[in-house]
Amino acid sequence: MTNQAQPDQVTRAARRAILIDGLPVITLGGVALALGSSPDQSTTQKALWIAATAVFALAVAWVLLRAFRRADEYLRKIQLESMAVAFAAVLVGLQVATVLDSAGVVPLHQLTQLIVIGGLAIWLVTADLRTRFHR
Amino acid sequence: MRNRLRELRAARRWSQADLAARCQVSRQAINAIETERYDPSLPLAFTIADVFDQTIEEIFLPDRTDTTNEQDPA
Repeated sequence: MTNQAQPDQVTRAARRAILIDGLPVITLGGVALALGSSPDQSTTQKALWIAATAVFALAVAWVLLRAFRRADEYLRKIQLESMAVAFAAVLVGLQVATVLDSAGVVPLHQLTQLIVIGGLAIWLVTADLRTRFHR
Repeated sequence: MRNRLRELRAARRWSQADLAARCQVSRQAINAIETERYDPSLPLAFTIADVFDQTIEEIFLPDRTDTTNEQDPA
């Protein structure tokens, strides 16, 4: 009897495809980060940095969309439900951050990145736990 | 929805991964269907029926608790 915990062909192919899609995007992210790292930037450098960051963001969306279309109906359902939970968490986080900003406790711009990253983390962890827990 | 997936799979000595490969879905999907955590879509149900060479009704057994469409024979 084959080990049920070993990834099946479809899952292995999906992971391989994500790696093939993701490596250029990660490289692009590194380039965008490097472009934005210098403290004194000329207008041209800033424009390049903004362009690289925008292309990186679009590339991430493209990789996610391809992974989504490649997934079967069950994994797609899991991803959609996990995204819905993360979206709700981000909404609540933004609302709390807005109130804190209005009260002068913490500026909103300092919290938005944390909220977005936290939402992404919730999405990925929820999806991973739901597929990992039921093997 | 109750189903006979595990029984039919065992009769052919297929693993979940084998059945998943034949149905072109992930092993997690087959596991979720067998443990009744997930009901397959119609195209997937037809695919599973084709793989086992049976009808959908022979594989999936709905829980008939809804009596709204029952007609009074009298």
